[in-house]
Amino acid sequence: MVKNHFTMKRNVIRKIVGGISFTSALFVFQACYGTPQDLGFDVLVEGQVKAKSTGLPIKGIRVAVADQLQYELTDSEGKFSFYAYKQEGLKLQFKDADAAENGVYLDKDTVLTGLSDRVSLEILLEEH
Amino acid sequence: MVAFYKKLAFKVVKKAITRQHDLNYLFWECTTRCNLHCLHCGSDCSKDSRHADMPVDDFLRAVDTIENRSPYFTVVFTGGEPLLRSDLELCGKELRKRGFRWSIVTNGHLYDKQRHISLLNAGMGALTISLDGLNDSHNWLRNNPASFDIVSNAIELAASSNRINFDVVSCINQKNINELEQLREFLISKNVRAWRLFTIIPIGRATNIPDLSLTDQQFLTLMNFIAKYRNHNEIDIKFSCEGYVGRYEPLVRDSRFFCRAGINIGSILIDGSISACPNIDRSFAQGTIYTDNFYEVWQHRFQPFRNREWTKTGQCASCKDYKDCQGNGFHNWHGSKENVLVCHHAKIENALKNHSLS
Ligand code: SF4
Ligand code: SF4
Repeated sequence: MVKNHFTMKRNVIRKIVGGISFTSALFVFQACYGTPQDLGFDVLVEGQVKAKSTGLPIKGIRVAVADQLQYELTDSEGKFSFYAYKQEGLKLQFKDADAAENGVYLDKDTVLTGLSDRVSLEILLEEH
Repeated sequence: MVAFYKKLAFKVVKKAITRQHDLNYLFWECTTRCNLHCLHCGSDCSKDSRHADMPVDDFLRAVDTIENRSPYFTVVFTGGEPLLRSDLELCGKELRKRGFRWSIVTNGHLYDKQRHISLLNAGMGALTISLDGLNDSHNWLRNNPASFDIVSNAIELAASSNRINFDVVSCINQKNINELEQLREFLISKNVRAWRLFTIIPIGRATNIPDLSLTDQQFLTLMNFIAKYRNHNEIDIKFSCEGYVGRYEPLVRDSRFFCRAGINIGSILIDGSISACPNIDRSFAQGTIYTDNFYEVWQHRFQPFRNREWTKTGQCASCKDYKDCQGNGFHNWHGSKENVLVCHHAKIENALKNHSLS
């Protein structure tokens, strides 16, 4: 009983302090030798790239965030997984990056809307 | 009147935050190896490579004890030079899976395009790079003739990301105090949006290099420079959390002085010690992850950090500003701890006094 009361009180204080801390720039902090806190938003983009004709995974496809430096190559299972800045209309570009090594495929762009914290995609590429 | 109530509100909230002591900022000293030999190193940290890098699993085991994770809990990889480790991305992904955010403090020498991309892919959310002046003064402190150019490229790269909360830190000393205006222009030209300035702690090697520490007058110049540009939009300039600056308190950073070491800031140091900021005297360690439960230590120890009455000694004993300052930043207590190493407030008041006398 005592413990419950104590826990409740702590939670109330936490809510007040937390509310102030994260809605007001006044209480965001960083240590001298540290970094700023990460108060930004991103989305975990995961998925698999397959050939449209065969349904088989494709390795070596470059999955890039449009207008940014970020990209990742699909692995031997055609899979990719990375974090990207969360923005409405996030555009991903799928591009065959290894010439004829794993077959030749046409490029594809995908625009993501209504993002939550995590998105899972299955991308089918047409053969050239 | 408004200022009075703001100050009062700050005191009340500070007290509540201290009582609450929610951990939401955790340093991980993941290596003490380094690729540079900076002049000031060893003065504000104990960087040597006697210790092997801590295995990621050891660190994660300690992190897994943490209950009550705030949504913005940030784990800060520090060193040595963290980018010497090739498994930061792996560790970063594991942290993200567990609901933590993470960031890196780096000298920038290994921050190239490939690493930038792989760190972003792994969910890095914030980054700090050190730049300690224009070409000559930076290279002097970093003890490396090519450093400025390398670091400038790293800064440009980091500033190009719309995801990370990125800032540049500069250690202000006698060699660069007269370059502040030009340095600001330079950072703006590189699209840097936030700049934090700090000064050296006079311990270890720094005590033998007089050019590293600012005179009282120079410190006042630094305060005036920051105050002048605080409200300009091109770049957010602030003084670091390192010390209480009296009459400049509301003018040089986002909030008033509040050293959160052991209150919101914890650390896991290279040998497993549990403490707060890595620049704090190592004798303040509160336990070790190898024999203690990390979160229990955080919850139930850390008394010297949460009750600073013990700092009422030396020049702080009779200080009129003690309530606002509480013995300055915790990292200003080293060795015998009989007196605070630096009183920023006194530096300012001395400079003003000398100024009015001359
Ligand atoms: S004397 Fe101590 S308590 Fe007073 S302002 Fe200086 S450092 Fe702070
Ligand atoms: S110990 Fe120093 S670096 Fe850490 S929070 Fe306090 S003033 Fe800042």
